[in-house]
Amino acid sequence: MNVDAVTRSVDPVTLEVVRNKLEGIANEMQMTLLHSAFSPIVKEGMDCSAALFTADGQTIAQATAIPIHLATMIPALAAVVGKYPVAAMAAGDVYILNDPYSGGTHLPDITLFIPVFADERVIGFSVTTVHHQDMGGMSPGSIPTNATEIYQEGLRIPPLKYMEGGRVNQTLEAMLRINIRLSDTFMGDLNAQLSACMVGARRLRELCGGYGADLIETIFTLLLDRSEKMTRAALRTLPAGTYRYVDWLDNDGVDLDRKVRIEVAVTIGDGAIHFDLTGSSAQVRGPINCVPSGAQAAAYYAVRALTDAQIPTNGGCFRPVTLHLPTGSIVNPQAPAAVNARTATIKRICGAMIGALADVVPERVPAASAGLSLMLAFGGRKADGSGFIVSELVAAGTGGSASGDGVDCLQTDGTNSMNLPVEALAIEAPVRVLRFALRTDSGGPGRHRGGLGVVREYEFQADDIRLTYRGERHFTDARGAAGGGAGAMSRATIYRADGRTEAIASKLVTTVSRGDRLVVETAGGGGFGDPKSRLPEHIAADLANHKTSAEAARRIYGLCDGGPT
Amino acid sequence: MTSIGVDIGGTFTDVVAIDGAGRLRIAKLPSTRADPSAAVRTVLGRLLPEWRIAPGAVDCFAHGTTVATNAVLERKGARLGLLTTAGFEDVLEIGRQNRRQIYQLLLEPETPVFLAPRARRRGVVESIGPDGEVLTALDSASLAQAVDALVAEGVEAIAVCFLFSFVNPSHERSAADFIRARHPELMVSISSEVDPAFREFERTVVTCFDAYVKSGLDRYLAEMERDLRSAGVPATLQIMQSRGGVCSARIARQRPIRLFLSGPAAGVVGARETGRLVGHEDLITVDIGGTSCDIALIARGQPVIRAEGLLDGFRIRVPMVDVNSIGAGGGSIAWIDAGGGLRVGPQSAGAEPGPACYGRGGTQATVTDASIVLGYLDPAYFAGGTLGLDARLAARAVDEHVARPLGLTLRQAALGIHRVLNTQMAEGIRLVSISRGMDPRRFALMPFGGGGALHATALAGELGMNTIVVPRYPGVLCASGLLSALIEHESAAGFMTRFGDALAPEILRVLAQLTAECAARMREEGVAPEGVTTTCYADVCYVGQAHHIEVALAIDHPATLVSSLYEAFCLLYDQIYGHHTRSPARFVNLRVLQRAANRAAAPVALRDDGRARGAITAKGSRAILLAGSEDYVSAQVVDRDALIAGDTLRGPAIIEQSDTTTLIEPGWTGLVADSQVLLLTREP
Repeated sequence: MNVDAVTRSVDPVTLEVVRNKLEGIANEMQMTLLHSAFSPIVKEGMDCSAALFTADGQTIAQATAIPIHLATMIPALAAVVGKYPVAAMAAGDVYILNDPYSGGTHLPDITLFIPVFADERVIGFSVTTVHHQDMGGMSPGSIPTNATEIYQEGLRIPPLKYMEGGRVNQTLEAMLRINIRLSDTFMGDLNAQLSACMVGARRLRELCGGYGADLIETIFTLLLDRSEKMTRAALRTLPAGTYRYVDWLDNDGVDLDRKVRIEVAVTIGDGAIHFDLTGSSAQVRGPINCVPSGAQAAAYYAVRALTDAQIPTNGGCFRPVTLHLPTGSIVNPQAPAAVNARTATIKRICGAMIGALADVVPERVPAASAGLSLMLAFGGRKADGSGFIVSELVAAGTGGSASGDGVDCLQTDGTNSMNLPVEALAIEAPVRVLRFALRTDSGGPGRHRGGLGVVREYEFQADDIRLTYRGERHFTDARGAAGGGAGAMSRATIYRADGRTEAIASKLVTTVSRGDRLVVETAGGGGFGDPKSRLPEHIAADLANHKTSAEAARRIYGLCDGGPT
Repeated sequence: MTSIGVDIGGTFTDVVAIDGAGRLRIAKLPSTRADPSAAVRTVLGRLLPEWRIAPGAVDCFAHGTTVATNAVLERKGARLGLLTTAGFEDVLEIGRQNRRQIYQLLLEPETPVFLAPRARRRGVVESIGPDGEVLTALDSASLAQAVDALVAEGVEAIAVCFLFSFVNPSHERSAADFIRARHPELMVSISSEVDPAFREFERTVVTCFDAYVKSGLDRYLAEMERDLRSAGVPATLQIMQSRGGVCSARIARQRPIRLFLSGPAAGVVGARETGRLVGHEDLITVDIGGTSCDIALIARGQPVIRAEGLLDGFRIRVPMVDVNSIGAGGGSIAWIDAGGGLRVGPQSAGAEPGPACYGRGGTQATVTDASIVLGYLDPAYFAGGTLGLDARLAARAVDEHVARPLGLTLRQAALGIHRVLNTQMAEGIRLVSISRGMDPRRFALMPFGGGGALHATALAGELGMNTIVVPRYPGVLCASGLLSALIEHESAAGFMTRFGDALAPEILRVLAQLTAECAARMREEGVAPEGVTTTCYADVCYVGQAHHIEVALAIDHPATLVSSLYEAFCLLYDQIYGHHTRSPARFVNLRVLQRAANRAAAPVALRDDGRARGAITAKGSRAILLAGSEDYVSAQVVDRDALIAGDTLRGPAIIEQSDTTTLIEPGWTGLVADSQVLLLTREP
C-alpha cells in the first residue's frame, strides 16, 4: 500500500485514540515496573524504563522515564533480532541482553523483550530496561571506578532466550544466580521486568483484537511518519551548516593526568541532522568508554531538546538522525574496554552536541551547563559493627541563557537523580554534613549569570571509611556564550585530623577516619552575554542573596560603592 | 436546625443548605477572587432570606476554601524570613536537584525560593544529632542577631527549620519562644510542629508555606466569623482540611498548611457518603470541570490518602486526599498539530473566553462545543438556562478548526473530539488505579462536577466498569461533602527506629502523647470524649527504602505490637505492590488520628417531592449522535427533578438538571434509588 492509500484508510480520530492508548500502555508498564520491583535503585531512583516497539524495531511509545535507557533499547532490540530472526520467534519467548558489545550500554542495565503476536505474526515488542543493583564482577554494584576490562565489571549476557514456550531457561537462571550478589533481589527485579513486559504485551494484543492487527500496523506507520515529518520540519527551522564543539572529561579514572577529548561536528540541512564525533579521544583504559548506543542516546536527547516538545516521541523522531562514531574511539570502543562509568561521557557528549548550536540559535541554547553528577560513596563499619555503603550524586550549575540566569545546582541532559538529604546520610552512615550551601561566585559571569555549584562539607565519625570520589569539571570549565564567562571549576579537598590537606584530582579512592573532613565544591554553569550589560538590579539582588561577592561585583560587573559604572 | 456548606472554588462558589426536615437547596455563585468571602456575605444576605432560613437556625456552617492556595498562586503571602541551622541556609533553594521537564533546554528554578530568598534566610549556631543529642547548644547571641536581621529586612512571618528537630524540638521551641517574646506581632511556624518528619528540604518547604499563608488565612477566617456573628448565625465556622475531615476555624488557622486541598477533599468526602447510601464502598471518582479532570480512589469506604501533594508545581509534604489531576475537561481545546494530527488539550479555553458556544469571543473548538453538536447539551438549558449557548458558534468552531482541516464531516469531528478526550481520561483513570495496585473493573465509577455525568458511560465502557453512581447533585458535591465530613484531628511524630530496636513501651509513650494532643483539640472543639474514635498508624518502610506506607497499628497487645505490625506491613505491601519480602523494616513516623461525628451536621438524605409513582414523563426528545454511528438517533430527555425513587430508564437518554447533564448511552439502564442517587448499570 502506498502512503496516500494508507493515510486514507485510517481516520484521524482513530489514529489519535490509538496513540493515546499506546502511551497509556507504556505508562502502565512503567508503573508496573516501579511497583513490583524491589531494589531501592528501581523503586526510589526510578532507574528503569518501558517502551513498545514495532516489529521492525522502531519505538512506537515510551513512558516518561530515563532518556538514556529509552534510546539504548533501539540497538539492543536490533541485536536480538539480528540473532533471532523475527520470523522464527514464537509466543512464550522472552529475550534478554546486557552486553554493551552486542547492543547493551553497561552491564547493570538489563533489557528484556517480549515479541507480541497478533494474527499469528509478530506485531511489535514489549520492552523494559532496569538498572540492576548488582551484576557481579570485582565490586558490589558492578560499577568499579578502576576497571580496565569489561570482564572485571560483571557477567555479560549476549542476546539470549530467557524464556522459551513460556518456560524459564533454567541453565541461564542458575548462571545468573551464582554470579550475582544478593541474587534474590536480582531475581525480584528481573521478575518485575517480566511482569511489566507481559502487561505491555497483553494490552497490545487486546488493542489488536479490537482494531485488527492490520489496522494497528498501519497506525504504527502513520504515527512514525507523522513524528518524522514534524521533526524534519522543526530541523528545517535551524540554519543549515556544520557546527563544531570540543569539550573535555577530566580523566578516565585510571590515567589521572590525561584529559579525554570529546569533539563533535553537527551538520544540519534538508531536515536532517548528522553528528560526527571524529576528533574525540581514542578509547581509554578506565571505565568511561562509551559504546555507540551512548552517543546515539545523546543524539536522540539533543534532537528532542532542539525540536518541538509537542511532537509525540517515537522512532520517527530519530529517522532524520545519523551518527559517525570512529572505531576504536572513546565513543565506539572495542572489546574488552571497560565501560561501566559511561554516564559522565554521555553527559559530556550531550553538552557538546547542544553547545555546538549555541551561536547558531542563541535564543534557544543556553551557555554550557557544568554537566556533571558528582558520585560519592562511603563504605565501612559503624560503631556497633554493622556495615554501611551509602552513595550520593551531587549536581552543579546550569548555563545562563538568552531568557535568564542559569539554575543553581540542577541535574541536566541525560540524568535526573535526586540528592541525598543531610538527615538521611547521618542516619545511614557515621558521616555528618557540616555545611550544604550554594557556592558564591561560581556561576559564570554574564548578562545572565551561570547557575551556581554547591559546597558540601563532611566530617567523618568512624575510622577506616572507604571514600570513593568521582568528579568532573576539575580541569576544564563550562564555557560561556554570547560574550559570557566560564563557570568556576570543581574543587575537592580532604582535611586530615592531623592537619594535612590533600587536594583531590577529580577521581580518588582513599580511606578516611574519625575527625577527617572533606569539602567538595561543584562547578558553576557558563554565563550568557556581556557581564558589563548585567542589569544593576540583578547585580544588587545577587549581592543581597550571596550569589556574588562584593569583590566579584566590583571586579567582574564594575560595581562601585554607588552602583555599577 | 439548618446546615450550610459553602465551597469556594476558583471559578464558582457552591452552596448547599439542608434544613431539619431534610429539604435541600443548592446554589452556584460566581467566585470573587479579589474578595473570596464576599460569596459568604451573599449567602447570608441574599440566599438565606430567599430560602426562608432564619440565621439563628443555622447550627452548622462548613466551608471549603481555596484562599491558602490562591495566596500561593498569586504570591500574596506574608513577607517571610527563614531561620535554619547555621551552614544550611540554602537548603530551601537547592532542593533535591532534579527537574520536571526532561527535554527542556531553557531551565527555571524548581524550588520555591520566592518564599524566602537568601537575604531573608539566616543561620543560627546550634546542632542536634540524629539521635536527638545536643551537639552544640543553641547560641542565644546568634539567634538574637539572626532574628533582628530578619526584622530589619521587614519580615512579617518567620519559619524555623533546624536539622533533626523532628527528634528533638527543644531548639526550635526556644527559638519560637524568643521570637514571640521579642516580636509578638510576627507569625511563627516551626518545623517540629508543622511536619515533624525527616528530610530537611521537604520539612523546610512545608514549614515555609505554612508561615507564608498564616496571617492571610487568619484575617480571612476572622472576617468570616465576624460576618456570621453579625448576621446572627450561631454556628461555629468549620473548615475542610486536605485529609478530608473538618475542624473549627480556630484550630484550622493554627495549621494553615492543612487546608491546601480543602475543596477537592470535600468532593471526595461527598462521593464517599453518596456511595455509602447505595452500598458502594469501592469507588473511582472523576470530577470533570472546565479545565481539568480530578481522579480519586475510595477503597473500602476510605479515600486513599497520600503523604504529599503538588501546589503550583511544588511538592509539599502534607497528608491529603489522593486527588490526581489531568488536563482534560469541557473547555479543552481540539487542535491540529504540525504533523496534521488531531489533538485535544491540555490547553483550555477556561471560563474566559470559554468555549466558542459561550459567545464571549472564543473561536477554537472545545469539548463543550462538540457536546452541543452531538446534541448532548441543550443550548437553551445549560446551567439551568442561566447561560444561553449558541449552537451555531459551536458548530462553526468544530467545523472550521477540526472537521475541515482533517477532511471530516462535522459529525465525525465532534464524535472524534469526544473519543479522544474519553481515551485520555480513561488512560488517566487506569494509571491512577494501577499505581495503587487496584483493578478499575472492581470499582464503581462516580462522576461529578459539571461535566462528569456526560462522559460517565463512555468512560465506564472503556474501562470495563459495570456500575456508575451519579449523585443527586453532582455539580455541588463538594459543598454537600462539607456537610457529611467527620471532625478530624491528626498528630504525628518522627520515629526513626529499626523494627528490631523498637520497644513497645516507647511507642506507646509517643502514641499517648500524640493522642493527648488530638484530644486537647477535640476538647477545644467542644466534642465529648465518648464520641471520639482514635486510630493509631505507623509509617513503615523496608530498611534502605526511601518511601514508606501507612499501616494501622493495633495497641491492645503491647507484647506483640511490633511483630503484628510487621505482619500487617508485609500484607499491605503485598496488596499494593504485588509481592513482599521478609527483609528488616523500620519506623519512619507515628501518627494518631481522632475522628468524631459532626454533631451539628445533618445527614444528607434526600426526600422525593411527592410525585405519585408511575410512568416517567419525558420532557421531550432530542436527536443525538452516539459513538459508532454517524446518524442521529432520538433520545428521550428527562428532567432530573421529575424523577423519583424506583424510576428506571434505558439508554439512549439524557437527564437534565441545573448543575449537570447525564448521558445514558445505549446498553445502560438507570435506576433512581431510594436515596435519590442515580445508579447506571451496564446491561449484560
